Amino acid sequence: MTFELELRGITKRYPGVLANDAVDLAVHPAEIHAIVGENGAGKTTLMSLLYGLFPPDEGEIFIRGEPVRFDSALDAIAAGLGMVHQSFKLFPTLNVADNVVFRQEPTRRGLIDRAAGAARVKDLAERYGLAVDPEAAVEDLPVGVLQRVEILKALYRDAQVLILDEPTAVLTPQERDQLFEVIRRLREAGRTILFITHKLGEVMAISDRVTVLRRGRAVAHLTTSETDPAEITMHMTGRAVDLDRRAPEHQSDQVVLEVGNLTVLGGHGRPVVEEADFEVRSGEIVGIAGVAGNGQSELIEALCGLRETDAGTVTLSGRDITHADVTERRRAGLAYIPEDRYGVGTTRQASVAANLMMGHHRRPGIQNKGWLDRGAVAALARRLVEVFGIKVASVSGPVETLSGGNLQKVVVSREMEHQTPLLIAEQPTRGLDIGAIEFVHGQLIEYRDRGGAVLLVSAELSEILALSTRILVMFEGHIVACLDPRKVAEPEIGLYMTGSHLENQVA
Amino acid sequence: MPRKVLEELQDLSRRALVSPVTFSLLFAFALAASIVAVTGGNPLAAGEEMFTGAVTGSGLRNTLGRAIPIVGMALAVSVAFRSGIINLGGEGQMVIGGLAGTIVAIYVPGPGFLIVPLAMFTGAVVGALWALLPAYGQTRLQLPILITSLLLNYVARAITGFLVRFPLADVSVTLATTRQVPETTRMPKMPLFGGVSLSLILVILMVVGLWLVYSRTVMGYETQMAGFNMRSARYGGIDVEQRTVQVMMVAGAIGGLIGTHLIIGEALRFIDGELVLSGFAWTGLLVSLLAVNRPIPIFVTGLFFSGLQIGGLAMQRNAGVSWRLSQVLQAVVIVAVACRLVIRRRDRRPSQPVDAETAGVGEV
Ligand SMILES: Nc1ncnc2c1ncn2[C@@H]1O[C@H](COP(=O)(O)OP(=O)(O)OP(=O)(O)O)[C@@H](O)[C@H]1O
Ligand SMILES: [Mg+2]
Repeated sequence: MTFELELRGITKRYPGVLANDAVDLAVHPAEIHAIVGENGAGKTTLMSLLYGLFPPDEGEIFIRGEPVRFDSALDAIAAGLGMVHQSFKLFPTLNVADNVVFRQEPTRRGLIDRAAGAARVKDLAERYGLAVDPEAAVEDLPVGVLQRVEILKALYRDAQVLILDEPTAVLTPQERDQLFEVIRRLREAGRTILFITHKLGEVMAISDRVTVLRRGRAVAHLTTSETDPAEITMHMTGRAVDLDRRAPEHQSDQVVLEVGNLTVLGGHGRPVVEEADFEVRSGEIVGIAGVAGNGQSELIEALCGLRETDAGTVTLSGRDITHADVTERRRAGLAYIPEDRYGVGTTRQASVAANLMMGHHRRPGIQNKGWLDRGAVAALARRLVEVFGIKVASVSGPVETLSGGNLQKVVVSREMEHQTPLLIAEQPTRGLDIGAIEFVHGQLIEYRDRGGAVLLVSAELSEILALSTRILVMFEGHIVACLDPRKVAEPEIGLYMTGSHLENQVA
Repeated sequence: MPRKVLEELQDLSRRALVSPVTFSLLFAFALAASIVAVTGGNPLAAGEEMFTGAVTGSGLRNTLGRAIPIVGMALAVSVAFRSGIINLGGEGQMVIGGLAGTIVAIYVPGPGFLIVPLAMFTGAVVGALWALLPAYGQTRLQLPILITSLLLNYVARAITGFLVRFPLADVSVTLATTRQVPETTRMPKMPLFGGVSLSLILVILMVVGLWLVYSRTVMGYETQMAGFNMRSARYGGIDVEQRTVQVMMVAGAIGGLIGTHLIIGEALRFIDGELVLSGFAWTGLLVSLLAVNRPIPIFVTGLFFSGLQIGGLAMQRNAGVSWRLSQVLQAVVIVAVACRLVIRRRDRRPSQPVDAETAGVGEV
């Protein structure tokens, strides 16, 4: 039997890093193949090589037994490959159909036939269960739908092999289930899927086979039905990892953050957060659960001074910061791990050290009368790199070359280092491998035990349940419930998240 | 150890060879040489005249002298560009500041060693205040600096035109001009290379100062981070608005200093329109772009452009080749560097065909 796809001895070196080291990978037709490995193990690099984004230093690629050489992604697409990147590449102002057909528009008498394009997109979407409106403008769509548009783009170009780089990292559990449904249908239609993830539950649920990368090497090729998460973890990390629930600790009465009837207006003058009223005390982690798009991001942005509030008050350690700007809020004792590590959390063009010192650069010791102490800056950067295990060749190198998870560690380590009374952590473990998640969870708990107050927003209910002292649930801009994680289970939270509790009350 | 040095040298020369600047220079000179040859001249002789004209005798003095405004205005542009502010108002800041400094030099009585610094200081302050207008326009009223700073150039031209025509006019000549700057309050010349203006030292100090600011200070760090990614800088607690105002003031102050120097050190009269005609603000802009807004490369590039211009004049005098050839050279260098930069960027981020990024649209 020939393989749909085969990589032999693929090697890619970067200065100071061996990103892929003689990797072999064989994928059967109509197979869902998971690629797993720690942050910086070389998953994205391997997929980019396969997709022709840059050439490997050594090694060969075979498609259906034929050796191929891709000079660019165009060649890869012609050979039937499609890739969905983690950051989507779409025209925000065009509609879905126009984005999908872009550069391969159906024509009639030499003119673009938009109706035919839309019809074909609609047809494709229906065939694979990708719920998308071809006429919708892309800029208004949530990430889950954007991802479907990207998949449609690949399918429209008749991709036989679909590569998905951490597709579930940005999805809600519901969206993830829908994606899996689509992937299964694609497999039934004979297409092959390569799928990167850090979540072993997903690997077990959807994949047929698994390849484990570790420090650039393919260390294991496993059949999913014959393995289990513990074995995969052992291959990935060389040790066992335990993400179990930790009992919430002591509480104190000292209120750190007090939010009083906060209302935030969205783009259309409609409230996206309405009368949010809660507090976070020192020594507790308050989790905010909710389906993405129910006001969590806007609430956090308003708390951090990145968005105007319309009514209500925000008090931090007794200081009214309702109208303070970001600088004043940070000085008043707030640190913030933002959801968007690429656009907000880091500065692509700057070095790793310059990114790590952001916000610390005015601290005495780092700076003296306006002069930066370069030794202290380097020491700070090196320490964070070491403590958080950030894989980087040199702290003066560009942050751009870090893998997704390592970039996330840059943001998390820098914000935790502030040791402020309040830490706002939005999706803090997105894109991290399980070892790193365990570590960050440990850090958050330590933060709490030192008397810090943590406000945690996460799309992972298990994360919220494992860490929170209290859980607030947001639905359509309202905080609809305040729950005790010791007394609730996931399904009950799910009811509040989807607004179903309201129906029950009416009935 | 020597091995390491050797490797470094090899690495350096390899990088120099593939650097866009080297390539562009070779390309530009080859093109210019062929133009000379095709039109019946002797390219080697023309080149030699150009070179000797730029670096020997009074040529060297003139090259250094012309580098002062070119490098200065390039620095003014670079501080703004580096923090992501498109300040096209260098010309207006130079003209307004220049006239203010000139007024001090002409009308304020006192000994030269006091009045010259005072004139320069006044030029800097007025240039900075002029730059405050577009800065506040952006931070308070959301008017883009790109547009307001450009439009204010015309306002500056009109204001100075009015002043030198009426209240400050020297009625003894037919030009619209101020009186001559008295001998005692002119910018002194140094006994170096046949008398280069003292302002050269000022420009060198600014180059070194800015280099220090960018590599060693909180202010330099903050402005650069804001220039790279405004959202991330604001999130990190940098007061982007305050930085915008400060940076614009620095840019305006440099413009005012250079404007004042050009009158009290060079022209000696503020003749209406003359500073604008010199085009230094725009040459400076190009120099800054070529040098990617870094102070030390700006100094080198500025010297080179200045040498091209001075050498071009010598070439016309001695080899009978029009000085316009040096303008052609200058233009070709710019275009070639720009092309190479684009090509290099394409190399690094290889084709992602159906993607919005290469088509110039942002990510969603
Ligand atoms: N352009 C580059 N220059 C230098 N090093 C790079 C470059 N791109 C990637 N690397 C390095 O190669 C290694 C593998 O990176 P890669 O992005 O493939 O990791 P990954 O397995 O996808 O990790 P993650 O799970 O964090 O996304 C990392 O150490 C990374 O820093
Ligand atoms: Mg990756």
